[in-house]
Amino acid sequence: MIETLPAMQTTRVRTVDFMQPLTDQPQPDAPAFGVKNLSMWYGAKEAIKNVTIDVPAKRVTAIIGPSGCGKSTFLRCLNRMHELVPRTRVEGEVLFAGQNLYSPDVDPAMIRRRIGMVFQKSNPFPTMSIAENVLVGLKLNGVRDRNLLNERLEKSLRMAALWSEVKDDLRKPGISLSGGQQQRLCIARAIAIEPEVLLMDEPASALDPIATMKIEELITELKANYTIVIVTHNMQQASRCSDFTAFFYMGALIEFANTAKIFSNPTRRQTEDYITGRFG
Amino acid sequence: MEEKRHILGTFDEALRSLRENVLMMASLTERNLNHAIAGLLQRDDELCALSIADDAEIDELEKQIDKDGIDVLLRFQPVASDLRRVVSAIKMNSNLERVADQAVSIGRRARKLNQHPPLQEIELIDPMHRHAVAMLRDSVDAYMREDAALAREIKPRDKALDEMNSNAGRTLTERMGDNPEQLRGYLNLMFIARCLERVGDHATNIAEDAVYAVAAEDIRHMHKKPAIEEQHSPEV
Amino acid sequence: MSGSANHQFRKAKSLIASLLCSVAALLVIAPLGLIFFYLLRSGLSSLNVAFFTNLPRPVGEPGGGMANAIVGSGELLALASLIGVPVGVLGGVYLAEYGTARVNALLRFVADVLNGVPSIIWGVVVYGLIVLPFKSFSAYAGSLALGFMMIPLIMRTTEEVLLLVPGGYREAALALGISRWKTIVHIVMKTASKGIVTGVLLALARIAGETAPLLFTAFGNRFWNRSLAEPIAALPLQIFTYAISPYDDWHRQAWAGALLLVAMIFLINLLVRFLTRGRAARVA
Repeated sequence: MIETLPAMQTTRVRTVDFMQPLTDQPQPDAPAFGVKNLSMWYGAKEAIKNVTIDVPAKRVTAIIGPSGCGKSTFLRCLNRMHELVPRTRVEGEVLFAGQNLYSPDVDPAMIRRRIGMVFQKSNPFPTMSIAENVLVGLKLNGVRDRNLLNERLEKSLRMAALWSEVKDDLRKPGISLSGGQQQRLCIARAIAIEPEVLLMDEPASALDPIATMKIEELITELKANYTIVIVTHNMQQASRCSDFTAFFYMGALIEFANTAKIFSNPTRRQTEDYITGRFG
Repeated sequence: MEEKRHILGTFDEALRSLRENVLMMASLTERNLNHAIAGLLQRDDELCALSIADDAEIDELEKQIDKDGIDVLLRFQPVASDLRRVVSAIKMNSNLERVADQAVSIGRRARKLNQHPPLQEIELIDPMHRHAVAMLRDSVDAYMREDAALAREIKPRDKALDEMNSNAGRTLTERMGDNPEQLRGYLNLMFIARCLERVGDHATNIAEDAVYAVAAEDIRHMHKKPAIEEQHSPEV
Repeated sequence: MSGSANHQFRKAKSLIASLLCSVAALLVIAPLGLIFFYLLRSGLSSLNVAFFTNLPRPVGEPGGGMANAIVGSGELLALASLIGVPVGVLGGVYLAEYGTARVNALLRFVADVLNGVPSIIWGVVVYGLIVLPFKSFSAYAGSLALGFMMIPLIMRTTEEVLLLVPGGYREAALALGISRWKTIVHIVMKTASKGIVTGVLLALARIAGETAPLLFTAFGNRFWNRSLAEPIAALPLQIFTYAISPYDDWHRQAWAGALLLVAMIFLINLLVRFLTRGRAARVA
């Protein structure tokens, strides 16, 4: 019974995990990402230091850590978005579906169609309507089929729990929505191209508590179909909506385990000090 | 290893206050138990009455600690060792209150025994009392000093107390047959022995909570069959 | 009380300062007012239907107009835009989206120097490049000179408005697996489209009244232009020719032409105002 107390999640999510609270190194059958000895530099500064981690498929993995610990950078290394910043360099490998994302014959655009991303600041395209925003990824990637587009539009908005709120306003500008709706619109936009993974970079940090809860609920629903990696500053959020938690500190992965384990009995002292809010 | 302070000073303050109240609760409980037993052994009705009356104080403190514990959960959302400490404090609190209730029962029975000529078998109670109080004190101590080794020793010690209780039961049952006019007195003594045995159980619970707080381990019900353990598996 | 005297003194100083500022502001606005007033008074009477429909006529013959110069100016501006807009916009896209810091610094410096080059130099350059080898003044030469002038203007404004588009939109598009080029065209440039159009219009307004680069290139023509390889009339050239002539009725025509030119530039600026209205709010 005591083991269950730290858990702030629903039974649905947790039952299995609780049965073995002390052997919780995640050991998925087939990880979504196999990260091996990944290091990353901005110029001369090493931002990610030799990280090895297997990110489980169809689970929510939270990445926590203080500002500047490299958690966002690590997330971007998973779909090569870090390459937008000039003078970055990566060593090591990220295996995704059996392929190293960093092998020279891999096109980052193709990677990003399979590994979607949602950002901290909601960013619907200001010139586009709600519908256009959802479909922009498909259209600009060459999909012309009207029926398919309409079907994806409704499906994506439904999955993003936004359909009922916007179905009569699909022609209105995306930026006319509230902050929380805009973020769900961005999630709909990301899932419209049917990726396998959703990377979320502090998706709720700019939202009010109610909008935040809606996003968290959405994450819990989406994990049936997607592997989700979420970077968050909010430890309660990590403990509420993730299955596994990785703690980063100064570019290094300090601890990776079952979320219940991390928040009830972390193995590493640095993790304990960080999550309990002690002086570092 | 010295534990670092929290960035939030008020959090440290709240945890310290919770801890101090639990310690106070433990010492008041032990005092009540001592009063009740002394009332019996010294045939002192006033001490018996004291152990009953002072329970109100403990009830108040119990409510206060629960309130403080919930307040800490609410305000600081503790995790890891902090969470375990707060949860353990709340559970200890309830165990201590039950120990105090045993003291009340003992006080009541002792008062009844005091109205009759003394029974020689009262000597069965004293060693049980000392054993139970030692267990209680050590279990609280283990929590306060975060001493998992000490906490783990408590459970085996409960076996000895259980043994003493069944011996006392056997002896007293025999005496009832020999001496039926003292039946009521023997029953009261059996009841008091049983109360002390319960105190040992509560001390064991406290020790288990202490182990959880310190080592994040659940050592309860280890002797039972898995089928029974299943009933205690999570039902969040 | 000395405090009070001090107070009076400070009040007087403040009054003088605000008076000086007001006078300066008036000096800024006054020329525009004076130009309009002068142009309206001298040119309005000649701004009739014939002015828009007829060719220039010899001195003394009434009913002459500037139809060929108006159309010529339109042709020159259109041709200049064909050169200046694509090159300028693409250059701006390069600066904002592709170039490395060092190349960009060089390009910006060059563009700023080119912006500062006196317009007659452009005329001379195109004269050497086109007119001499082909042995003829032409509409091509005139528009090339004007187009060259547009390039750095459009390039810098395009760069600036593209840089105003928040990086989050680029990231969002690239994260959808959209290619770099499509992201720039369909997301970034679309978001900045009003700004880019504004830059083009401002560049047009700037070159519409240029005379010097046309002197050695378009040269001017008293008749309709039949081929772009031949000299062509332009509003500023016609004004120049008429204004330096000794004849009063040509002077009046020059005034009317000048009024038309200023009115056009004024309208373009109004349009720019309209387009940029609320742009800051939208970008934020």
